[in-house]
Order: sequence, then structure tokens, then C-alpha cells
Amino acid sequence: MDEEDLSPAEMMRLIEEQAAAATRRLQPDPLFLYAPWGLAWLVGFAAFFLSYGLDGHPIAPISWQLALAILMGAQLLAGAFLFWSARASSVQIRGETAQRGMMYGYAWFVGMLSMGLILSHFTPMLPRDQIGLLYASVSLLVVSILYMAGGAVWREWPMFFLGVWTAAVNAAGATLGPGWHALLISLLVGGAFFVAGIVLRRRR
Amino acid sequence: MTLPDLDPVIHAQARLRVVATLNALPEGDQIAFPGLKDLLAMTAGNLSVHLTKLEDAGYVEITKTHKGRTPVTYVALTRRGRLAFEEYTVAIRALLGGEA
Repeated sequence: MDEEDLSPAEMMRLIEEQAAAATRRLQPDPLFLYAPWGLAWLVGFAAFFLSYGLDGHPIAPISWQLALAILMGAQLLAGAFLFWSARASSVQIRGETAQRGMMYGYAWFVGMLSMGLILSHFTPMLPRDQIGLLYASVSLLVVSILYMAGGAVWREWPMFFLGVWTAAVNAAGATLGPGWHALLISLLVGGAFFVAGIVLRRRR
Repeated sequence: MTLPDLDPVIHAQARLRVVATLNALPEGDQIAFPGLKDLLAMTAGNLSVHLTKLEDAGYVEITKTHKGRTPVTYVALTRRGRLAFEEYTVAIRALLGGEA
């Protein structure tokens, strides 16, 4: 074997290439992690914006049921895409990372489920035009907290800042009313997730 | 110029690649054998041989378990292995610094 003859520089390059290749495979692709959700919110909340309008008059003849169906369908697609990409590149790992991922996944499930139960209790007491805003803003509050928490768990600053950004836009939008909320979430949050996915993928 | 003593267990291309890959896993994680094999693009036989050598040196921990009825083998770097890889990288860097 002549492999002992590699120069130190070649050995160093081998180490760096192998480490980079392993990290690429072991860490989720940021493009698939963020961009599909960004796109889903961009489209879904744009549908709500067109349905609400800014001054209470719809901009396009889209019922709230249709807007909700578009948002839910797009989110379902994004989820399916994430699941598929995670499976396709999956390297079986067990240990601390897998446990963190599992707990984090359950946190989403439990958070969204309990939110739904709480909000459904208040739904009948609210004027019709505020129900959609309540669901949208509280679910985005849960989303923003979970992104900030995810950033803390994996020490991912971009994830943390996406959570902070979502929380800020969501809170500001909710005070302005349903139309503005939908417009701001679509452009500023959906857009931010989409751009973040592309930028983070390029920087990898 | 005299070479510093480079760890002979790691100072072989194939094993260096194995250790560099395992080092990319966070501490506390184990990777299943097929996944490691794919990452390294090695044959199962070849990888097994190198893993045995690394295990004998105390650098790698191999855990055999079952998932349902299928046997699964998990591999991870030991603390000693992580340290050895670190020292090896430091030694190589020192060599490169000496060359410059």
C-alpha cells in the first residue's frame, strides 16, 4: 500500500473533505427545511389577503373556506416534501440528536393540538371577522416560539432569528387587523423563510 | 525534517476517512453501519476490517442491537478516539505550519 505516502497537505485536505461531506449528509438541507414553508405561507396568506382585503372589501372573490383550503393544502405539501427529503437522505442515527428531534417533533404536535382546543372554546364568542385572525396569529405565535426554541436546541442562529422575525411581524400584523396580518405574513414571513432556505443552501 | 509521531492507527487514508466522518457526529450519537458505509462509499467488508482495527485501538465503540427482528450495528467514536483524531489533526497542522 502506498497510501502512507500522502503528504500532510493531502491528509489535511482528506480530513476537511470528509468532514464537510459527512456534515452535509448528517444535517438537514436548509433549502428543504425552510423554503417549502416559506412558499406555503407566501401563497396561503396571499389567498387570505385577497379574501379579506385591507379595508374589509375582498380584493378577489375568494371565500375564507377556499383561502383556508389553499393554506392547509400548501402546508400539507410542504410537510410531505420535508418528510420525503428527510427520508431520502436519511442516515440512521440514534442517541442525543435523535432524542432532541423526537421531543421537538412532539412539541409541535402537542403545541398545535392544545392551541386548537383552546381556540375552539373561544370561537363561538367572537365576531366572525376576527376568528380567522385569532387562529392565524396564535398558530404563528406557536410557530415563532418553536423556531426560537429550535434555534436554542441546535444552536442555529438563522432558525432562532426566523422565530424572532415571525413573532415580531405576527404581533404587529395582528394589531393591524386580518387583511394587514395576512399581507405581512405572506410577504415578510413567507418571503423570509423562502429566501432563508435559498441563502442558507448557497452558503453551505 | 523529522515527522512527529503520527498515530499509525489513524494514519491510513481509509481509517482517517472513517474517523473524520464519525467525528462529524455530535458526541452521544451513534450511526448505523449501512449509513456509515454509504457516507464513506466503502464495501461492507472493507469497512468492517477498518472498524475492527479502530475498535481494537479503543477508538471506536460498536454496539450490536436489534430493531424488531433485524440486527442493527451502531458505530460511534469513543472519547479516546475523538482525542486521538484531534491530536492527529493538530500534528498535521503543525507539519503544514512547518512547511510554510
